[in-house]
Amino acid sequence: MQFENPFGVAEIIELGGSAAVVLLMVGVAAVLGFRMSARIDDSELARLAEADGARVDSAVISQNGRAAFARLSDGRVMVARVMGADVSARFAAAKAVSLNVKAQRLNATFADVGFPPLKMRIDDSPAWLNDFSGGGGST
Amino acid sequence: MTPPQAPFEIPPIITYAVPAFVLLIIIEMIVVKLTKKGRYEYRDSATSLTMGLGNRVFGIMFGGFALLAYFAVYEFRLFNLGWTWPVMVACFFAEDLAYYWFHRIAHERRFFWASHIVHHSSQHYNLTTALRQTWTGTLGLTFIFWLPLVYIGFPPLMVVLFSGISLVYQFWIHTELINRMGPLEWVLNTPSHHRVHHATNARYLDANYAGVLIIWDRLFGTFVAENDEEKPHYGIVSQLGTFNPFRVAFHEWLGIWRDVTSAKKFSHVFGYAFGPPGWSPDGSRKTSASIKAEWAARHGAPAPSPAYALSTNADEGGKTAAGEGAGAP
Repeated sequence: MQFENPFGVAEIIELGGSAAVVLLMVGVAAVLGFRMSARIDDSELARLAEADGARVDSAVISQNGRAAFARLSDGRVMVARVMGADVSARFAAAKAVSLNVKAQRLNATFADVGFPPLKMRIDDSPAWLNDFSGGGGST
Repeated sequence: MTPPQAPFEIPPIITYAVPAFVLLIIIEMIVVKLTKKGRYEYRDSATSLTMGLGNRVFGIMFGGFALLAYFAVYEFRLFNLGWTWPVMVACFFAEDLAYYWFHRIAHERRFFWASHIVHHSSQHYNLTTALRQTWTGTLGLTFIFWLPLVYIGFPPLMVVLFSGISLVYQFWIHTELINRMGPLEWVLNTPSHHRVHHATNARYLDANYAGVLIIWDRLFGTFVAENDEEKPHYGIVSQLGTFNPFRVAFHEWLGIWRDVTSAKKFSHVFGYAFGPPGWSPDGSRKTSASIKAEWAARHGAPAPSPAYALSTNADEGGKTAAGEGAGAP
């Protein structure tokens, strides 16, 4: 059985043309100003938590309002981040979160391959964040 | 048996449609900008379009395998249906029915969801979302849902033709700019019906799997109408939180791999790979069914009805609770 290269000249031209068109459309979107527009505040966090049947116990929101880390009433944590015009929320058991807070920078990693690490600048570092330092919350 | 020849050259429907796709996307962007109805974000669109481009790359690399499978099965066909108008009309309905079941199972079984989740991973709903397509469709064996058609005797290229027409049809329904379409809502899959399909709201989960005709959802009990009082929130239950195309393409496969390799029993391996998305041995993760049940309990309402089928019990019902890792609720 012989392997044939499926990419001939026609395919290369097609893919090159498609890539150019993709760049064109993304460029048009950028020129039209379709950029990060959502911001996270306490009410948005409350709405996201409520949608998952929980309440926000404590939360820190990044300085630019694009990310947040919250402890929920049921002991879980919620991570929120702006995704364009919407906000992405992810819920996790406290033990699955590892937090590192240094000089107003919060870094969180998750035992979940689908969710990228969270990095955000915060104004102050409330004491409850210490529960998550080095992995695993107190609950 | 010699396969009947198509009476005309099969047009590359999707290739021909690309210029229209581009034009419509740019028109939609301008209308969204002017009317503030609908939403775009350039990085989200970049990811969607990159996924579409990657889908084509993987299609060139592996699409031939699906075609080979079609022709191989066609050798054992039950009937010699040939290329006639009545057969083509029948093939349109048969292909649309096959699409319905492919799509439904792609939401209800994690192995197939791992490919299809890509299409649902955007939190925006616009025409670029339509092009956010999987890279692992052929490798993920999604073509097997069309094999019964060629086994019956529909010519493989006829099936390919109507699959292409169905995909082209489904492009324009990915928009928030079109509201309801009157009596057409009864028969056709429309933007309104498909917004419900892309929504993560509990009441909308696992509904409206149609390709072209919404009649299949009405027939099989998976139809849910858009409720003007509950705006759809788009994406997946466990939102990805990234625009990285490689994470989008492979995260669920990695999730399956991690779960399967850490499983303690074969039944758990089977459950992780072929159970509903969100299945776990101890029931600690969320499935569509459990999300709906919790929602119903909180709102004092009966659980929404669609898509409890294909589940072995009420806790293992549905789709979309994807990407749940060890730390998932």
